[in-house]
Amino acid sequence: MKRPATDFPSLARIWLQQIAVLSLKEIRQLLRDRALFIYTVYIFTANIIIAAGGASNELRDSPVRVHDADRSVASRDLIYSFQPPRFRLAGEVDSAAEALRLLDRGEARMILDIPPDFAESLRRQRPAHVQALIDTSQANTGYLASSYAARIVARFSEAQVQRNIIRAGGDPRNLPTIRNEVRVWYNPDLNDKWFNTISELLTMVTVACILLPAAAMIREKERGTLEQLLVSPLTPLQIMLSKLLSMMLVMLCGTTVAIFGIMQPLYHVPFVGSVPLFFLLAALYAFTNAGLGLVAATFARNSAQVGLVVLLMVMPIVMLSGTWTPMESMPAWLRSLMYLSPLRHFIEVAYGILLRGAGIGLLWESVAAMAAIGIALFALGLARFRRQFA
Amino acid sequence: MGQAALVAAAEAPLLRVAGFVKRYGRRSAVKEVSLEVRRGEIYGLIGPDGAGKSSLMKAVAGVLSFDAGRLEVFGIQLDSEAAAERVKGRLGFMPQGLGLNLYPELSIEENIDFFARLRLVPAAELAQRKERLLAITRLARFRSRAMKHLSGGMKQKLALVCTLIHEPELIVLDEPTTGVDPVSRRDFWLILSEILHERGATALVSTAYMDEASRFHRLALMLDGRILAAGRPQDLRRRVPGVAVQLRAEHQAEALARLRSVFAQVQALGAWIHVFAQDRDATAAEREIRAALADIALHEMFSTEPELEDVFIASLRQQDPHAGAMSAAVQAPLAAMAAAADGNAIAARGLTRDFGEFRAVDRVSFNVSRGEIFGLLGANGAGKTTCIKMLTGILPPSAGEGSVGGIDMRHAGRAIKQRIGYVSQAFSLYTDLTVVENVRLFAGIYGLTRREAGERLAWTLDNGGLAGYENETAGSLPMGLRQRLALGCALVHRPQVLFLDEPTSGVDPVGRRQFWEILFRLSRIDGVAILVTTHYMSEAEHCDRLALMYAGGIVADAAPAELKRRVTEEAGSLLEISASPVLQALALLRSAGYPDAALFGEHIHLLARDPDTAGTQLRQMLAGAGIAVAHIGRRPLSMEDVFVHYVTLLERGGTLQ
Repeated sequence: MKRPATDFPSLARIWLQQIAVLSLKEIRQLLRDRALFIYTVYIFTANIIIAAGGASNELRDSPVRVHDADRSVASRDLIYSFQPPRFRLAGEVDSAAEALRLLDRGEARMILDIPPDFAESLRRQRPAHVQALIDTSQANTGYLASSYAARIVARFSEAQVQRNIIRAGGDPRNLPTIRNEVRVWYNPDLNDKWFNTISELLTMVTVACILLPAAAMIREKERGTLEQLLVSPLTPLQIMLSKLLSMMLVMLCGTTVAIFGIMQPLYHVPFVGSVPLFFLLAALYAFTNAGLGLVAATFARNSAQVGLVVLLMVMPIVMLSGTWTPMESMPAWLRSLMYLSPLRHFIEVAYGILLRGAGIGLLWESVAAMAAIGIALFALGLARFRRQFA
Repeated sequence: MGQAALVAAAEAPLLRVAGFVKRYGRRSAVKEVSLEVRRGEIYGLIGPDGAGKSSLMKAVAGVLSFDAGRLEVFGIQLDSEAAAERVKGRLGFMPQGLGLNLYPELSIEENIDFFARLRLVPAAELAQRKERLLAITRLARFRSRAMKHLSGGMKQKLALVCTLIHEPELIVLDEPTTGVDPVSRRDFWLILSEILHERGATALVSTAYMDEASRFHRLALMLDGRILAAGRPQDLRRRVPGVAVQLRAEHQAEALARLRSVFAQVQALGAWIHVFAQDRDATAAEREIRAALADIALHEMFSTEPELEDVFIASLRQQDPHAGAMSAAVQAPLAAMAAAADGNAIAARGLTRDFGEFRAVDRVSFNVSRGEIFGLLGANGAGKTTCIKMLTGILPPSAGEGSVGGIDMRHAGRAIKQRIGYVSQAFSLYTDLTVVENVRLFAGIYGLTRREAGERLAWTLDNGGLAGYENETAGSLPMGLRQRLALGCALVHRPQVLFLDEPTSGVDPVGRRQFWEILFRLSRIDGVAILVTTHYMSEAEHCDRLALMYAGGIVADAAPAELKRRVTEEAGSLLEISASPVLQALALLRSAGYPDAALFGEHIHLLARDPDTAGTQLRQMLAGAGIAVAHIGRRPLSMEDVFVHYVTLLERGGTLQ
């Protein structure tokens, strides 16, 4: 038998060779695991497209029913201010009771109730009232519907005031009104496809980065191949590193496809900053999450369990990241927890580099946080792994 | 044979299978199988994993649909869901796996009650039957113990009780004895016979152990979805005429090679060589053996009746002349053994491991030297795997120490791990990688260079007979090939010490022989120390030395022949008695000073100190009680007899438990 090498350079070469063959094995296994492979392809392609197209937060085509008890020119003017694309007039109803029933049944998003003295009040220059009943069971669109309705009524009211001033011989331009001039930066068209696709990509990268290494580890545990590795001259560190590196590579490939194959050509999502910096930090993010996945794998006994544990981890990470909800609107105690969510830091990095062109100088705090969380998790995973098997 | 033969002729078979085919996707699991089971008999299906036993049994039990052929149970043709429902009430089915159909959290009694209620057994009858079955199985004492705290043997007995509680006419038992210790196994067969006799019921039983053939009235040998041969055990044994010769010679490896040039079925069994001389009688066989060995000194030689396994392989060869052929002759450097015996390759001293309250391994000590095949023989849960895990450094011992090459495995570094190979229980390679990818992966892990890896790959393909399968995924290989691939991967770095944990479980007899052949060459030619565990009693004969494990401890440790000699010395030789009615004869013998008399199908086995006089006495005694004695003769001791002897001694002495 060959003498085992003892000098440092050849030991280092063997050490690296072992990680390389193990990583290659992981990638082969992923490519041959049909379910996991299709899932991986899906989250970086079709899922982004669905996020861009389907799940819009805008208010569109909301059905409005009208109970017009006044039937005047003024009431009709107001009614026809509710126009597509936000609203759609879905017809009139005869009674308030009927209107309520439609609202209950979900056939109308909003009921506009105009009382019989509407035009008369306006003519006599008295305050006129209308009532909008809005179904806000979907809080977000309900909120949007109510604020658009308020804006439409306010504009109608303003026009009415101006008309009254003109009728009284005054000049409406002299009215002391304030005009708010808004400039939107970084996403000048307020294109929510940018936001949606990037958010979805980040969420899915998080899931993949936790799930893939966890699945790779649990597969070895389930099939008993882990023991085979443990009796060989491999250290737990090498076994974990190989899972980490291979899944990091998979995630970087997926992100490349998602950004340059889908988000840019289809939705013109910009890439303002440095490409190498983005991918370098994405790799760091993969490391941070892989630590979490490997910790999850030490808690679970089989694939089904690891799926549940990962789900349990991903939900708070996404919720506390500020991806879908702004950080400022969280209560203070939750906000401090948010610093523990690795996604929260990667969001700074991703939006910073993609949309604002930020460099490392602006992002170093997030980078340091990701690195710190990652090292802590990886160390925990390694420690638990050693305790279980060595 | 008793009532089975008497009733059989007059009546239609209880179960009739004709042209039965079962496919899973494109793979045919059972190919045109036909058989008939008569009322009152124990019919056996013997074959390795994947032979199609379970598929056939599930279909009979009405829980699996099939693709072609006819299946008649109680004269009702199972061609629809409704027909299957009609027979289900009259049969009982016990699926494979130790107590898998039971509820671990429920007690023995709760489990029985649950199955009884499921089968709508009236309360009064339930109480009566339960007491009777608990008494027969000797589980009554443990009635309130949770199933999960039972031993493997007790679980199987409980499963049997639950299967029988509604008094089925036909019971279908899928591998009820796999992994159960030999003592419990004997118990199980006796209980089964008693209950079947009492109820006049019929049983269809499968097993992976070829040496259990004698337990059945009739049986079918299955392989690869087909029935190779069917009939009574003694008839099957006579299907291929010939004689088995055991011999011990100088230069075992060379002797083996020379004998192979004359005989088709030659294998090494520890220090012995086993030859099946087809179509020859003992004198002719022994003469030819002497001629083949020529100048190699012959130490010992005797002839016996061939084992069923010899016949099984011989009938396989008749269908396919290449089956069971061993790979190329051994180019043995005869001197290799000489340099061997320098110190212990593996040593265990007081090795102990606790899992919470449970002591899995209890002060185990043994040594294995270079070039030796050492076997740990025991049932599932006896502590074999835990032992191996401690010696390979996967599991730290609670007490004692284990060392490999003189180095404590608890602090095993890279250098020592580089010198051991390990094939773990079940198949522990990457099933989704191909043969070549698996070998190259382990070559990489052990730090082999590209050139070395290429050499070892070629060696593995050649030695394991894997050529032609290079790009198949490991998961698609038959069990035998898989195990040889696992062995190849464990040997890729040329280790000096090899650990094998139940490497041949589920492998067919031909595959098992080929596997042992490779182990033999490794130990004899390369001087590798091999520690192997098995629950096949018959396989233990392959080992140079054996340790019998029971309940975490070692009950005996010696060469197989030595163990047998000691048992013969302590308890006598084995007598086989054919008497009718057999259960009555057994009861009589047990009360007349042979408490360990055991039932083997229609025969009784017992140990008698002075076999010739004892034979005469027994014949008179049985005849005096009105029992017809057909035959009393001597049988060679099996490893199972040895195991049972030692465990019974221990249990009587009360040192364990």
